Amino acid sequence: MSEPLLSVRDLKTQFFTEDGTVRAVDGISFDVHEGEIVGLVGESGAGKSVATSSILRLVDSPGEIVGGEIKFKGETIFGLEEDGGGELRPRDEMLTEEEMRKRIRGREIAIIFQDPMESLNPVFTVGGQLREFIEINRDLGTDEAKGEAIDILREVGIPAPESRYDEYPHQFSGGMRQRVLIAMALACQPDLIIADEPTTALDVTVEGEILEMVKDLQEKYDTSFIWVTHDMSVVAEICDRVNVMYLGEIIEQAEVDDLFYDTKHPYTSALLDSMPRPDETVDELRPIKGVMPEAIDPPSGCRFHSPCPEAREVCREVHPEPREMSGDAEGTHTAACVKHDAFDIGYDTSPPIDTEATGGFSAGFTETGGEAE
Amino acid sequence: MSLLRYTLRRFAQAIPVLIGIVTITFFLANQIPGDPVEIMLGPTPAQEQVEAIRAQYGLDRPIHVRYFTYLSGVATGDLGLSIYYDRPVLEMILLRLPVTLLLMLSAFAFAIVTAIPLGVISAKRRNEPADHVSRIVSLIGVSTPSFWIGLVLIIVFAFYLGWFPARGLVLPWADPADVRGAATRIGVLRQTAHHLFLPMIGLGTLQMAQITRIERSSMVDSLQGEYVKLARAYGVPESTIVRKHAFQVAQLPVITIIGLGLSTALGGAVLTETVFEIQGMGRLIITAINNQDYQLIMGTTLVFGFVYVIGVIVTDITYSYLDPRVTYGDE
Amino acid sequence: MSVNSATSDDDTPDNSDESGGPDEVEARVGLRYTLKQVRQDTTARIGTYIVGFMTFVAIFAAFDYYVLDYAIAEAVLYNPETDPQNVRRLLPPVGMENQFGQGVLEHPLGTDHRGRDLLSRTIYGTRIAMTVGFLATAIGLGGGTVIGAVSGYYGGWIDDVLQRVTETIYAIPFLVLVIAFMTAFGRDLTFAMVGVGITAIPVFNRLIRSRVVSIREEDYVEAARAAGVKDRNIIFRHIIPNSFAPVLVQATLQVGVSILIVAGLSFLGFGAQPPTPSWGQMLSASRGYMLPAPTFSIFPGIAILITVIGFNILGDGLQDALDPRINN
Repeated sequence: MSEPLLSVRDLKTQFFTEDGTVRAVDGISFDVHEGEIVGLVGESGAGKSVATSSILRLVDSPGEIVGGEIKFKGETIFGLEEDGGGELRPRDEMLTEEEMRKRIRGREIAIIFQDPMESLNPVFTVGGQLREFIEINRDLGTDEAKGEAIDILREVGIPAPESRYDEYPHQFSGGMRQRVLIAMALACQPDLIIADEPTTALDVTVEGEILEMVKDLQEKYDTSFIWVTHDMSVVAEICDRVNVMYLGEIIEQAEVDDLFYDTKHPYTSALLDSMPRPDETVDELRPIKGVMPEAIDPPSGCRFHSPCPEAREVCREVHPEPREMSGDAEGTHTAACVKHDAFDIGYDTSPPIDTEATGGFSAGFTETGGEAE
Repeated sequence: MSLLRYTLRRFAQAIPVLIGIVTITFFLANQIPGDPVEIMLGPTPAQEQVEAIRAQYGLDRPIHVRYFTYLSGVATGDLGLSIYYDRPVLEMILLRLPVTLLLMLSAFAFAIVTAIPLGVISAKRRNEPADHVSRIVSLIGVSTPSFWIGLVLIIVFAFYLGWFPARGLVLPWADPADVRGAATRIGVLRQTAHHLFLPMIGLGTLQMAQITRIERSSMVDSLQGEYVKLARAYGVPESTIVRKHAFQVAQLPVITIIGLGLSTALGGAVLTETVFEIQGMGRLIITAINNQDYQLIMGTTLVFGFVYVIGVIVTDITYSYLDPRVTYGDE
Repeated sequence: MSVNSATSDDDTPDNSDESGGPDEVEARVGLRYTLKQVRQDTTARIGTYIVGFMTFVAIFAAFDYYVLDYAIAEAVLYNPETDPQNVRRLLPPVGMENQFGQGVLEHPLGTDHRGRDLLSRTIYGTRIAMTVGFLATAIGLGGGTVIGAVSGYYGGWIDDVLQRVTETIYAIPFLVLVIAFMTAFGRDLTFAMVGVGITAIPVFNRLIRSRVVSIREEDYVEAARAAGVKDRNIIFRHIIPNSFAPVLVQATLQVGVSILIVAGLSFLGFGAQPPTPSWGQMLSASRGYMLPAPTFSIFPGIAILITVIGFNILGDGLQDALDPRINN
């Protein structure tokens, strides 16, 4: 495979709060190749949004990127090295804040935020905001930028863009505002767009329309996407490859088909099972048992062991590393679960534990074990 | 067009409030103990003289008749006669109101010009030394009585340093011949500024502190807004974000506070005029009360009310002009 | 005034953590929760210390004044000028000197224009300021709560009438309104207090009304109504206890505001009359001696400043402590 557009290696972002250090992103690695839509999936609190703001180096205080490496088109967005005294310091080739702002944000990597109602500035016209971003990121004059803005508004499906250009955000519906946000991202002609749950706040029909539109535009412009979502049906709809996050870690990554049909991690299975399908009734839905623990004090061993239906005693103690599952060297399907490390760790000989999901000692062992196959 | 209609509608809506002000004022003034005629004519006036005066000021008629007479008088701009000054109340007010308005305007100008940068810097450098200083200054500002600030300013800047005069005010439109130390219009204006400086700070400090506080919290909110995150993610320079993206949204609550501050400032004007011996509306109402000149008491009280109502309408209109979400039509 | 009604609801703290449960238990929880939060919040704690200290001084002064030592009261009120041997007027604080003489230890802050001790008068002024501040706030709180609750709960024409009336009261600058009120009814401290209390009614009315309107539709209130609970009981047992936190914050700030207004009134000659030692009236008397004895004008003002700062810090601290949205 070719050199990836974006490569994230062992990224760690932490929040230093009064109550302790929150390890919001705890050593994730993934790549985005050109023209690809990569999913980043997980429940809220899994660290998806922190991961995406880390890529743009826009983590707000008290958060801070503390380790790992982010490379984009050969440039180092983030990277540390040890100085003489064993202290970590930014590498020389790491982009400065100024370079990030002028060369990367908007121009190379654009972002679409989750909340279309709050993301547009209420006191400026929609067109004015769009035009400003185009001017900054494409070095166009005011008139040219305005023309571009109107074109892109038309492209994302805003009717009568010339007149709507001068309207204010509150005059747009939620779906229309989300289209404007998408237009902003596209209009800057970046190589990578990060879409942070862009359809979560919208109703299902609007969501469908927008997903269709993004797919078309993605093909047309050949832009890469990181698509953040908690919704597996959106993943199925739009993504080429998927990273599943749980409590700051990526626990499984795979091509979208592999993930759905050859699921390796119990958490991914649980996510898939919690997704409503037309051939199931509500009774058959299996919501994930228990709440995700706090990233401030992550559980020992496998972080998912407490809600996991397949957890054994060993899962409490051993922290699983991502392992190659598909057998080929490219690493197209990895999962971090000790049940696939049977011989090294002793998963098979370890007794099942009493978890929230198994509901008791006897319930889980054979039944749930079989289900995951 | 729609802004004009909105303005007219706001004024129309204010009419019941204005009538309410007149009503409250009228009945309060009628509660005033003591007989104004007695004050006028001394303790042992001749009976027919009293009757004549009573008839002249309409005091012989029943209260409800006087109320409606007064109300219709107000509607036509007739506020009655001041017994103490022996001149129409309206005339006295028109003489004094510009003084108070000048004082108020300069105090608000001072407050806004200092408070907005302070608040913005404070928000931008939250929990840094600059923020702490600005917060302590504004805390002291909202906790200090304006008349005491006036006294301290006089002691320090008029008596000890001798930089500014301790009392009086020169109106900018005064005749240069009447103004000591001024030969030309420019000289008069310089005298005005010279005299206005201390009262302006005395009256404006509370407003400054209040605006700083709201500006800070409003900017803190605004700087955490999603639209600011968006602008950052699109490479907008931080200075532009502060000056434009965050700032404009943050001014809306500030305008509201300025409107509400008018009430405090009008009260403060009474105190400031007393401290600096400025002959404005504040001194007028105190003179009226001390002399039980009840027509003048009513007139000044309701003009204070009217000025506040108009001020609030002006801030409302400014607000609706700056916030596109406010519709001019019916809600 | 649509400036007030349209936007200022945002200014009132929204304590979402208290909207859950219904009755008096909730109020007690609210109080306990408040105390716990205040203990944890540094600003609120400093405010509590200042307010506590001033309250102590006020109670001590009152106790002293009425119970202990009539001689002290006499020294505070007595006019030594009638006794020419005893005239030590306008003395500076100890360690300083002015044209009237040298400061003496007996009068640490100096004396006033009648030779009375400034420190003891300032201390006695605390009693008046604190009493007036608390009582005026209580009047405003009581009146505003009743009007706001009735208005918000019943709506309709009752609401319209009550709101128009409070709006009108609010439309007269409050110092002017209190002056007019006192001119009509009497110029002493009692009427100053009542007048300031009346001007505070619209503040609490708006706060309570907006909360009542939003809580009225909550399920547990609906349930109580369906179960046949009397309206009055719903208002006083369910709705008002739920507004505990924002009202507490507003009331704390209002005590400071009331102290400021009453000081201003006394300064103008409305309020405490001589020889009663109130801070505003002391400052008013000091105006004639600003040049020869400036310290006379300084100390009463500092007393006002410290007291009002105490209430403002406490109010701000309470707001931070009780409002989970704000974290500094």
